[in-house]
Amino acid sequence: MRRLLALLLLLQALNVETALAKHALVQVVVKQPFLEVHSGPGRGYPVIYVVERDEVVTILYSRTDWYRVRAAGGQEGWARRDDLARTELTSGEPAPIPPYPDFASHRWEAGAGYGVFNHENLVTAWGDFGLTNSLDAEFVVQQAFGTIDNRYITTLGLRHTFIPEFKWISPTAGIGFGYQYVKDREPPAPLQNSNQLAYISLGARGFITRRFMWRADWRKYVVFTNQNQNEEPDEWKVGLAVFF
Amino acid sequence: MESRLSSVLLATVAILSGCSWFHRGEKAPPEVVAEEPPEDPSIVEPQVTRREVKTPKIKAKDFEIGGYFGALSIQDFGTNPVYGIRAAYHVTEDIFLEGFLARSKAGTTSLEDVFPDIQVVSDSGRHFTYYDLDVGYNVLPGEIFLGRGRAFNSALYATFGVGDVKFADKDQFALNFGAGERLLITDWLALHLDVRDHVFETDLTGRTKNVHNIEATFGLTAFY
Repeated sequence: MRRLLALLLLLQALNVETALAKHALVQVVVKQPFLEVHSGPGRGYPVIYVVERDEVVTILYSRTDWYRVRAAGGQEGWARRDDLARTELTSGEPAPIPPYPDFASHRWEAGAGYGVFNHENLVTAWGDFGLTNSLDAEFVVQQAFGTIDNRYITTLGLRHTFIPEFKWISPTAGIGFGYQYVKDREPPAPLQNSNQLAYISLGARGFITRRFMWRADWRKYVVFTNQNQNEEPDEWKVGLAVFF
Repeated sequence: MESRLSSVLLATVAILSGCSWFHRGEKAPPEVVAEEPPEDPSIVEPQVTRREVKTPKIKAKDFEIGGYFGALSIQDFGTNPVYGIRAAYHVTEDIFLEGFLARSKAGTTSLEDVFPDIQVVSDSGRHFTYYDLDVGYNVLPGEIFLGRGRAFNSALYATFGVGDVKFADKDQFALNFGAGERLLITDWLALHLDVRDHVFETDLTGRTKNVHNIEATFGLTAFY
């Protein structure tokens, strides 16, 4: 019952938020000869309405490169981002269509990929925060699927991008530490279930389109064990990421 | 005597005329002094406070979150209901990244049906749980017409990804391939019909082989 009440309150809060948001919609004046409004957010959808010069349109929200707009007569549809960027606010300022995040100086990044950890399949996901254009703090969570056990690895590290303004490919190097948890799959059980580890990495990254990028990495780990020898596994991985 | 009188008169006149000087300042027209041009024009400070005009932000609705249910055919273990949650981020009008998390419970193998004493997988091991991290591509975007007056935006998409299948108390690395149809009932609510195959390697039935676990699901998602 209490959960239901909490859920209701949450929904109510969201509702209030959207209601408030409804009051603050951007209105722009068409400055080009006309603005085409499509039936869907994609290049192939037909033009269903045309807004003339000096008419006002309300921007409701965006989806990828398309903006849901409402004309003065109430007609709704999707306008292309590039077209909308040429409109102006009623005050005469350019429309607040934010530019794409700059690849070289982006702040946040999130991605996932596939790799090979010590001859085992690996699924990886990461989040990055750019401290500077060339230095990132990265947080990685991954799972390696071995034949006799599974590993869950989480690491925190720093990564340096050598030439961040190189768009298509730029080399990276990193260093960090982490933790692994080994879950037994088949006997014999692992000697230790959890270990601390450290790594160094070399890699590359590159721009694909809009806010989409690829990343490839090689890592050398040192897994600290209570045996006479530390483990030193290798790891390769490739992935796709989105940056903001 | 006369001279004394005249001198008094003269003095009075002089004093009175002198008194008249006291009011000269008031009566006199203000002196016109040519104003020198101000040396620095910025000395005139505007008293108007600048109004901060805040342009509202345009909300981006690139995320899609929802749930799905359907039937999962677990190879050798029959077809069983599956239910899960999904979340996607649309990067461009073509590409999206999607994650799935779902659960099902396997039935019995034919062997177990024929010989009830044999148990291939323990009861707790019959849970089939998976997560997938996928990249998707809208191959055929378009519109679907319902009668004369209704058109719904839709897209046929293909997905590919990697993930984990936990079955028989073991985690296996799984690849998944899928195709689906997204139909937008409104601009924020979408119906999904999906077919996906989860492929992984297992030795549950005695020999190591790749098993294909195909699921057909129906989903409902919201863009926000």
